[in-house]
Amino acid sequence: MTRHSFRFAAVLLLAFVVFTPQGEAQVTDTAGTLRVPDAAQFVGEPQGTPLTGDALNLRTHQVGQLLRCPVCQGMAVSDSPAEMAVNMKQQVRELLERGYTEEQILRYFELSYGQFVLLKPKFEGVVGMVWVLPVIALLIGALVLFLKFRKLDKDPESAAGPEVAPGSDPDDMPAADPYVARVREMVSGGKR
Amino acid sequence: MNRTVLFIGIAIIAVVIGILFTGLGKNPNEIRSPLIGKTAPTFALREVGTGRTVDVSEFAGKPVVINFWATWCGPCWEEHPILVANARMLQPNVQFLGVVFQDEEEKILDFLRQRGSGYPTLVDDKGKTAIAYGVGGVPETFFLDSSGVIVAKHSGPLSADLLRENVQKVMRQ
Repeated sequence: MTRHSFRFAAVLLLAFVVFTPQGEAQVTDTAGTLRVPDAAQFVGEPQGTPLTGDALNLRTHQVGQLLRCPVCQGMAVSDSPAEMAVNMKQQVRELLERGYTEEQILRYFELSYGQFVLLKPKFEGVVGMVWVLPVIALLIGALVLFLKFRKLDKDPESAAGPEVAPGSDPDDMPAADPYVARVREMVSGGKR
Repeated sequence: MNRTVLFIGIAIIAVVIGILFTGLGKNPNEIRSPLIGKTAPTFALREVGTGRTVDVSEFAGKPVVINFWATWCGPCWEEHPILVANARMLQPNVQFLGVVFQDEEEKILDFLRQRGSGYPTLVDDKGKTAIAYGVGGVPETFFLDSSGVIVAKHSGPLSADLLRENVQKVMRQ
C-alpha cells in the first residue's frame, strides 16, 4: 500500500466512524456522546423476542392502550395526539423492537411515573381496593337479600298482613300493633 | 335489625365518600415521585447554543438541581428569574441544569437571550430523559444530593422560598 492510498483509507475510516448514525438507545460513556437514560438501567436486558413489521405495530398499540398519557384526562398513550403521548408511544415501539416484554415496559414506565401511569391498576396495596370493594358490596347486597327472603319464607303471614274476611271493614279488626291501636284511637277521638 | 342495617349502610357510604374525597381532592401532578430516594437516571445531552455535550455525571460529588421546562410554558417564565438568580448565587457548590423538551432551539435561544441564563440548558430530543424522570408536565424540578440520589421533586413553578427549602434539603444530605 502506497503512502497516498494509506492516507485515503485512513480518511475513509475516519469518515465512516464520524458519520455512522448513533442509535437512540445507545448507551456509552464516551465523552461527548449524547446519552439518554436507558430501560436497561431500570428493568435489565430484554427478556422477549424483538418484534418487527405488523406484529410490532400491533403490540405498540396494545401496550400503548395500557399506559396513561400523563398530560391528558384519562386517555391512553395510543389514543392521545399529545406530543408527550407520542414520545411515550415511540419509546414503547423502540423497546418492543429491542425485545422488551410488555411486563418489562410497563414496569419501566411505572418506575418513573408510579402506578398512576398504568390504566389497569395492579391488584396490590390500597389500589387493590378498586378490585375488592365492588365484589364486597355485591356480596353484602346478596347477603341482605338472602336474609330478607329467608325471613319471608319462614313467616309468610307477617309478610302478607292480617287476613280480612270478605265484606268486613278492616278498621273493625283488632289492631295487633299498639301504635296502630293508638292511631285509630286518636283518629276516632275515642268515640269507638 | 333495621337500625343495624342503617348503621352498616351509613358506615359504607361514609367510607366510600372518604375514599372519593381523599382521592379526587388530590392533584395528580403532586403524586409523590417513585424516584425519590433512588439514584437519578443519568444522561448526557446537547447544550443549546454551544452544542457541547453536558453529562450529568460530570457533577458527581455536589448537589444538582434539574429543571424541566419549555418556552411555551407560562409558569416556566415565572420561575426562570428565580432559578437564574439562585444559580448565580449558589454555583459552583450546587449545579443547576435546565432540560428543555418539546421545543425549538431558536425559541430557546431567543428566550435565554432576552431573559438571561445562569446554567447549561440542554435539549431532550424525543423527551426520553423527561420520560425516565417521570415528567408529566412542565415545569418540574428535581433536587439531587451529592451522591446523585433524588431527594425532592417539585411540580409547578418554584418560588424563591420553595427553591431555597429544597436546596437546603439536598445540602443537608
